[in-house]
Parts: sequence; structure tokens; C-alpha cells
Amino acid sequence: MKQSYKDYFQKGDPYVLLTSLGLLLTFAMVVMLLAIILVKGLGIFWPEDLVKTELKNKKVYLGEFWADEKNISKDEAGTVTITKKEQYKIGNRDIYGLDFVWLKSDDVVSRLKPENATQFERWEYGNMYGTIKKVHVGDETISDSDAIMFQKANDALDKVDVMKDELKELQTELTDLLSPLNSIRREISLIKINKGYYSDLEKEQLAKLEQFEIDTAAKLKSEHERIQERINKTTERIESIYLIVETVDGAEKELQLSKVVSFFQPNKMNVIDKSIHYAARVWEFVAGEPRESNTEGGVFPAIFGTVMMVILMSIFVVPFGVMAAIYLNEYATQGPITRMIRLSVNNLAGVPSIVYGIFGLGFFIYIVGGSIDQLFFSDKLPEPTIGTGGILWASLTLALLTLPVVVVATEEGILAVPRANKEGALALGSTKWQMIRKIVLPNAMPGILTGLILAISRGAGEVAPLMITGVVKLAPAMPLDGTFPFFHLDRKFMHLGFHIYDVGFQSPNVEAAKPMVYSTALLLIILVVLLNLLAIFLRNRLRKKYKSSSF
Amino acid sequence: MVINIKGSVSSETKNEMANENIIIETKDLNFYYTPDKAALIDVNIQIPEKKVTAFIGPSGCGKSTLLRNFNRMNDLIPDIKVEGEILIEGQNIYDPSVRLEDLRKKVGMVFQKSNPFPMSIWENVAFGPKVNGESNISNLEEIVEASLVQADLWREVKDRLTDSALDLSGGQQQRLCIARALANKPDIILMDEPASALDPISTGKIEETIDELRGKYTVVIVTHNMQQAARVSDYTAFMMVGELVEFNDTNTLFTKPDKELTEEYITGRFG
Ligand SMILES: Nc1ncnc2c1ncn2[C@@H]1O[C@H](COP(=O)(O)OP(=O)(O)OP(=O)(O)O)[C@@H](O)[C@H]1O
Ligand SMILES: [Mg+2]
Repeated sequence: MKQSYKDYFQKGDPYVLLTSLGLLLTFAMVVMLLAIILVKGLGIFWPEDLVKTELKNKKVYLGEFWADEKNISKDEAGTVTITKKEQYKIGNRDIYGLDFVWLKSDDVVSRLKPENATQFERWEYGNMYGTIKKVHVGDETISDSDAIMFQKANDALDKVDVMKDELKELQTELTDLLSPLNSIRREISLIKINKGYYSDLEKEQLAKLEQFEIDTAAKLKSEHERIQERINKTTERIESIYLIVETVDGAEKELQLSKVVSFFQPNKMNVIDKSIHYAARVWEFVAGEPRESNTEGGVFPAIFGTVMMVILMSIFVVPFGVMAAIYLNEYATQGPITRMIRLSVNNLAGVPSIVYGIFGLGFFIYIVGGSIDQLFFSDKLPEPTIGTGGILWASLTLALLTLPVVVVATEEGILAVPRANKEGALALGSTKWQMIRKIVLPNAMPGILTGLILAISRGAGEVAPLMITGVVKLAPAMPLDGTFPFFHLDRKFMHLGFHIYDVGFQSPNVEAAKPMVYSTALLLIILVVLLNLLAIFLRNRLRKKYKSSSF
Repeated sequence: MVINIKGSVSSETKNEMANENIIIETKDLNFYYTPDKAALIDVNIQIPEKKVTAFIGPSGCGKSTLLRNFNRMNDLIPDIKVEGEILIEGQNIYDPSVRLEDLRKKVGMVFQKSNPFPMSIWENVAFGPKVNGESNISNLEEIVEASLVQADLWREVKDRLTDSALDLSGGQQQRLCIARALANKPDIILMDEPASALDPISTGKIEETIDELRGKYTVVIVTHNMQQAARVSDYTAFMMVGELVEFNDTNTLFTKPDKELTEEYITGRFG
């Protein structure tokens, strides 16, 4: 008996069991993580039915069912009471103050789904729930059946959207028109800045500029007024289009259509309608701009910022890492010094990322950026031009952070190049550099790309170092756009990882933002996977090219 | 028992060689991988031009070391030390004025294990001329074809020059490596056991190729196979423990060896 017990352990069966359990646990965790993020992240876009609840005390609410909860409590006598609660998102933040309400299930008398219940997604103040009472378009007031009014309101919304575009164009026209005037004013203020005393030359200059300003303003006056006129008219027309919405408790509310993103009646929609709507909302999320301090709308700027940051980081880190690895392996004499360098590089990978952030702030932003400001933009100081957080510094910081990964992976790639091939190249009279370029680099390419993949995986998910080197909650402009010089590497940018943190923990309306956290997390995962797939695809193509190069 | 293996070139060889042009000559060559142990001891050898010379000897006696000194491949190993002189076409190859790349272009090498680059067959053969500055495509085409013809490979690969060299058989790969060395138009070709990893048929083909190179190139070949040395070489050097024991024309060395040690080795009594 004792013997077989010993046998049991010697054969290693328990360890097989143990290791398989470990694997199972790991796998289960991955699946669970993905499942939670998928369900929660994708569920939010589905248009839920709107429920009208009536309570015993005659209070009514209209909103989306959100969650329920069961509380079991025991009093001193030992009687168990179960209280059920349900949560609804009732929106109308401007009226109620809160988006959500908890109701005791026992208090609810009825739960209905009125056909004409309408959900309005607004640019501000979140959703509004209610029914359309009247549609005002200019002088016309429509008060008809719900279906007709819904249709009319939809048409009116399209019209408003067109007019809003027009308005935007007019405004750019105006800015362009006034830009010479503004530059004169900037020059004047530049002379006046921080000064109580002017030299004669400056006085003369100032007088000239001020005269010039008056002349220019006069010249532009008629055109200026014409555009302003059109702006005013369009604004007026936009403002004349609005709905009267009745909230569930009977109050009537004016709703400017210019403040509405979209509206729909979920209780009337069938599965196909809902699916179409779902797709549209997913698209809006991926391609749209954020609203309401990021808790609503899309995350496109964050996606863009993340991708661009990762690409910039790769552009910086790969050449540097590869050069370092080549020098370390091919040129440096192997000895205690190279061993020490290798050790430090490997250990750099373990330095907490926030430390890199601090380094990025201290070195890139203050020292490098600050010096550039002193040299080239000293007229704008103390206002920093480039010596402040921006996508360039953030990418450089992350490049530094991922450098060890690239160096190590490249070194492995270089070591995998058969010595026979290197000797063969040298024996044919190639110089060392020719040998490196023609034999070592192409053969080490899969290793280099492995390094890139690891760098992307690490870099795309980092948040902490970015927070102090250039990520912002809301960037006014993208780091790449149509205005010269197209790449604005000094600009601050948005990032999905930071977006998750910001929306989930920094927003004033955490409850409403929760789903957004999951969907953004999902998006970040998808993005990292996509970027990795791209690199893996490249690597496999190269591998095929150099297959079985070992003889 | 003390065996004196210190060799000297026999009078007979001297006579034979008097008619030959000497292309490689070493003078009191000592070579150290580690400072305390010499891998080559006082080697003096004169290798005739446009002939096939074979190095034989027991494993570890320094054949490869000597061969790899002729194109300074040993320079890749850190901390080596060379004493004495190696003259190729009268020029000391360790002279600072000698460009390593030029030397290696002139002295080609074929390794024991074939080492085609992971590129197309064409690119493999064109590699040497390209790194040495030839960029004219039609010249390259010409060189590639001529080299493959000389290495007896052209017929087999002429329709698949763009295929990966790694798809060739072991024997074809080794002949490709010979063609690759020939493409540099070298004067000397060093071969370190070029057929030891191949089957008898492939070995036969390599030997045929070497036979065709005779008279056009100086071939120095290291081999473990004494029959092979007897078959392909004009001259044979027998080495032991870092020393050159005997060097003579192949016929004489195998039939009437000067030294007792040589005789013992070639008759298989040790080694
Ligand atoms: N890179 C090296 N570093 C140190 N010692 C070496 C090195 N290469 C060879 N040696 C030593 O030098 C001596 C000669 O080696 P070499 O390779 O020249 O022998 P060989 O005659 O070619 O043997 P084989 O027939 O087995 O190839 C051996 O004792 C070997 O251990
Ligand atoms: Mg050898």
C-alpha cells in the first residue's frame, strides 16, 4: 500500500494534474475576462425598450431597465426579509438631476412599454425620455399623430444637421477673413507686452501698426458684416426648429433639434430595426467624437491617438533597438562590459513604467523641449511651445520603455543567424557591414518583428507614463490633420487606456459612464490584437522567405 | 617512448617542386588559439600553383587551422596569436597594407558543412561579385552562369535560378558553395572536408568538380579520407599535432613515404 502511494508520486501523476489545473485556471481567467468585457462592452449599444413604471404613490418614471438587486436582511428576532430593487435609467438630467433611479419592486404597480415613448440622445445633458407633443419648424407647428410627428421631426433633424454644417463653414470663412487683422493685433500686443515704456522707434512702429489695423478693419468691414449677417440668419433658422416633448410626468419641455444627436422609439422597433440601430451606434462609438466629458459619444480621437502614438513609438524604438543589438553582438568585444550592458538593458524592462514617465517629463519635456523653446521659440516664453507634454514626447518615452524588449528580441534573432552563413559571407570578401546588412539583418528580421510585437503589446496598454507626458482627457485637435504641416507632434493627444481611467474614475457621472468603460476596454483589446496581427503577419511572411535557413 | 615527428621536406620533393611555381608559402608559422598551447608549430610549407594539394592527418592535428590561416578566417576568433609569415604570391598576408576583403576575394573557401545563404540560387552565386563591387547585371549573369558551369551545377539548376538555394540537395548545395567561391574569380580555393557530410555519389561529383578545377585554380583541400586524397590531389601534406610531418607529391607520399610516422598513418596503424 505504502509502495503504491510512493509510486503514485514518483510516476508524476499528481504533478500532471497540478500543471493541467494551472493551465485550466489560466485559460478560464482569460475566457472570463474576455467574456465580461465582450458582454458588458457590446451590450450597451443595444437599444433597450423603454419602460413606464408606476408606483403606489402615483409617481411615474420612463426609462431603460438597467439592473436589479436582491437584499436579504435578518432582524434581531430572526425574521428574514427580502427586498428587491430595480434600477432604471430615466435620463432627463436637466430636469431630475440624476440619470438613474432605484425603485423598490414592491412599490411598483405597473410596468408598461408605451409605443410612442421616445429616446433622445442629446449633445449635452445625456438622454431625454418622453413623447413628442409638437414639432416646430419655422412658423409651422405640427401637432398630429405620433407617427407623423416622428417622421416630421426626423426630417427637421436632417435639415438642422445640414444647416449646422453651413454654419461651421461660415465661421471658418469668417476666421480666414479676419486672420490678417488678428496677426496685426498679435504684433501690436507683442510690442506692448510687459512694457510701461516704449522707445521712439517702438512708438513709431506702434502708431504705424495701429493705423494699419484701423485701415484693414475698414477694408474688411463690409465682407465681415455680410458673413456675420448670414451667420445670424442661419442661427436664427436653426433655433426656430424645435420639439415640444412631454415627459412621463406630464411636464412639457422645449427641445432644440440642434441639441439632438439622434432619437428613436425603441418600443416600436423590431429586431432588425434594433440591429441596424445597434450597428449605427457602434459606428458612432468608433468613429465619433466624445461628448459630455467623454461619457457619451465616440472615442475616435482616442483610437487615433493610440494608433499614432504606437506607430511613432515603433518608428523610434525599432531602429534604435536594432542598432544597439547589432553593436552589442557584432561589434563590441564580448566581455564584462558587454555583460554589464546586457544586464542593465534586461533590468530596464523591469523598471516601473511611471518612472519612465517621470524621466520623460524631466528629460524630454523639460530639458530637450525646454532647450528647443529657448533656442527657437524664445519670443513666446514663458509660454512653452514644445517644452510641454505632447505626442512626440509621449512616444519617445514609450520608445524608451520598450527599448529593452526590442533589444533582447533582436539579439535573439541575431544569435539565431547561423555562424556558417556569417563566415560564408566574410569568406567571399564582404566587409563586416555588408555581412550584417545582407545576412544578419534579413535573418534576424523575424526576431526584430517579435520585438516589435512585444513592444506594441506593452506600449499600447501603458497609461501611467503617458499621463505626465502628453495625454489629455479631451484634445482640441488631432496630432495629424489637414493643416500644414499635417503632423503636429507637439500636440497633446487622447489615448484609449487613459480614456478608460478617465471615464471610469474621473467622470462626474460614474454610473452612466460604466458601460463606456467596458466598451473602451474592448476596443483597446481589439486594437492591440489588430496591431499585433499585423506584425505577426509580416513576421510570418518573412519566416517563409527564410525558412529552414539553418541547413 | 619519445617520437620525434619533427619533419623536413625530403630531397625528392624539392626536386619535384623545383618545376612548380609556389603560390602559398609559410615561414616558421606558429599559431596559438590560447597562449599556452600552439595549434601550429613551425610550419614551413610551399604550395604549388594551379595544383591540388591535400592536407591529411589525425583529427585535431591542425589541418583546418592551417587552411583557415590562408584567408585569415581565424581572425574572427578573439585572442589568437600568429608568429611567422604567410606569403601568398610573395605578399605577406598579415602586412597592414593588405585589405582583408581583397585577400578573401583572391582566396576563396568552401566549408565542411555547405552554407548556402537563404536566398535564391542566383543571388547566392552573385553574392561575392556584388559585395566586391560588380553591379552590372549582364556581367553578373555571365559570371553566375560561368561559375555554375565550372561547379558542374548549371545543367541541374539553370531553370530554377530564382528558387531558394535551401531547396537544393546536400550535394547540390555544396557544389553551389563551390560555384559561389568561383564567382569571385579567385586564384586559390580552400576546401575544408568539402565532402565529409555527403553520400558517396555526391562525393564523387565533388571530386569530379575538383578535378576540373585542376590547372585553372590552386586548390587546397583538407580531407580525412586518404583514398580521396590519393584520388584528387597532386601533392599531399601529412600533419600531426600541429606540425607538418611530410609534404610530397601524392604518389611518392602514399607509396614511398619518407617518415615512419607517415607510413604508419597511411597504412592505418594509428589515427
Ligand atoms: N576556435 C578554437 N579555439 C580554441 N582551440 C581550437 C579552436 N579551433 C581548433 N582548436 C584546437 O586546435 C587544434 C587543431 O584544430 P583543427 O580544427 O585545426 O584540427 P583538424 O586537423 O582540422 O581536425 P579535424 O580533422 O577534426 O577537423 C585542436 O586541438 C583544436 O582543439
Ligand atoms: Mg578540421
